[in-house]
Amino acid sequence: MREAITIKNLSYTYSEDTRALESVNMTVHEGERIAIVGPNGAGKTTLLLHLNGILHGTDGQVEVFGKSVDKVKREEIIKDIGLVFQDPDDQLFMPTIFDDLAFGPINLGLKEDEVRERVEKALLTLGLSGYENRCPHHLSYGEKKKASLAAVMSMEPRILVLDEPTANLDPRSRAELIEIIKGLNEREGITIVTATHDVNAVPTLADRVYVLNKRIIAEGTSQKIFSDVELLKENNLEVPEVFKLFEVLQCFGYNCEELPLSVDDAIEHLTRTVETEGGHIHLHIHKHTHDQVRKLKDKYEHH
Amino acid sequence: MIEYPEIDRYAALDSLLHRFDPRAKIIAFLFLIFSVVLIPDLKIAFIGFFFAIFLLILSGIPLAFVLGYLKWVAMFVLSFFVILAFTFPGEELFNFYFLSITAEGLYTGSLITLRAFSAVILIFPMIGTMRFDTTIKALDRLKVPNSLVQMLMFTYRYIFVFVDEFQRIWTAMESKGFKLRTTLYALRTIGKALGMLFVRSYERAERVYQAMRSRGYTGNPKTMVEFEIHVKDYILAVFIVGFAISLHVISFLGVV
Ligand SMILES: Nc1ncnc2c1ncn2[C@@H]1O[C@H](COP(=O)(O)OP(=O)(O)O)[C@@H](O)[C@H]1O
Ligand SMILES: [Mg+2]
Repeated sequence: MREAITIKNLSYTYSEDTRALESVNMTVHEGERIAIVGPNGAGKTTLLLHLNGILHGTDGQVEVFGKSVDKVKREEIIKDIGLVFQDPDDQLFMPTIFDDLAFGPINLGLKEDEVRERVEKALLTLGLSGYENRCPHHLSYGEKKKASLAAVMSMEPRILVLDEPTANLDPRSRAELIEIIKGLNEREGITIVTATHDVNAVPTLADRVYVLNKRIIAEGTSQKIFSDVELLKENNLEVPEVFKLFEVLQCFGYNCEELPLSVDDAIEHLTRTVETEGGHIHLHIHKHTHDQVRKLKDKYEHH
Repeated sequence: MIEYPEIDRYAALDSLLHRFDPRAKIIAFLFLIFSVVLIPDLKIAFIGFFFAIFLLILSGIPLAFVLGYLKWVAMFVLSFFVILAFTFPGEELFNFYFLSITAEGLYTGSLITLRAFSAVILIFPMIGTMRFDTTIKALDRLKVPNSLVQMLMFTYRYIFVFVDEFQRIWTAMESKGFKLRTTLYALRTIGKALGMLFVRSYERAERVYQAMRSRGYTGNPKTMVEFEIHVKDYILAVFIVGFAISLHVISFLGVV
């Protein structure tokens, strides 16, 4: 697999007393889905701004498909990598949705009919057809979030970088957006990098996770990262609710080694258990159940 | 709730003026506005005023909507009128104590008031009959300097965000029990709120600029729009410009 993003020893300081990134190393392969998790102020946004050369590290370097971001012209980089900002009001700066979606393709130097095609395609992908002439201030927050993604998708990047894509969304828009992002990776093989502190979305959005808190604290599969409760606690991160629920089930005698992290995992897991245990799941209260549940609650409180 | 300043609220209506080519419309109306503002004669100013009303009615924009804006203009213009009426030198009509109203003052005051109202009214059939982004694109196609076009474009986009932001800060203040009074404490609090608004806007501007560069902004954003000018547009433009010119011709010839 080609390396899509390579970050070597990247450091960045906004000013003397805010060192936002310290010697960050990271490798993302083409077609991978990566999540960067960390508490507020961990430097996630700062890191993302380095990926297309908006910020330049005080030290270290960033490569996109082998090209050093600092050395190549920005047009070269933004063709490959699209960055979706957290706040859609930052991302949507043109008067209408059409203008916003056309903005990137026009700057890439595409011809008018190509631009129109791209705009239509992006609107279709995000389920926003017919929104061309709408103004951003007439859209709901969920629609604005989708339009922000569309405005980047119209540039047809190979790598999609999302800053807190699920923050402040209502449950339905959140689920829709997660589906769309998953689909882009599955159908078009787009590499996805998501910065988020929404741990419940991570297992569905990422195959591999980096924990960032100025430095890279840990790296691994969702399974590995989210089973490490100490690590999560130290970095002010939550444990996915589904994971907690299955830990509770374990106290009631549910039998499993790898705990599921997302609803999809859970369905698969339950199905497998039911099949191997002869058509049903056996839960019961044994003499340690209450102790174990209490311990579990202690583990997650004082958070 | 603070209301959005939406001059293009009725852009989706349909009228002769809504269908008027945006570029021709802007040029014709600007010409007319200048002409109206320069009218030297009160009777002709009345003609101009009625023509402005006529165009407003033609546009189908509800009068109540326009009056909502005009009341602010009226406050400004009428105070001007009063000052002029009392201070302009000339033949005295009335006087109370040491103040006196002169015929010349009344005449000049009325003339200026009428010209101002006509000009403001004309703005509505001009830019109220198309979406504001169309106005901006038309200005761009008319070769208005790009920096000015961008300024209009981003002001138009972010004025709404700004209003929302102010609303949020205000709601937060009110929910903490803040009441608008003229005490020093209240003024200080308002000062802080405005400071916060300023800082937030500054930070937003920085992020917006980052987002723009992320999508290839290098200084002059281009937009795509199809304008088509037809014979009817020329006719309408000639009609409006012709009217504007004849206002001055008849005033020059002293016909009225
Ligand atoms: N424009 C800026 N100027 C100065 N400091 C900043 C700026 N942006 C972020 N920071 C600081 O850098 C650190 C990392 O911020 P950020 O990258 O936004 O974190 P995250 O996205 O993980 O919440 C924080 O301490 C923040 O206060
Ligand atoms: Mg952030």
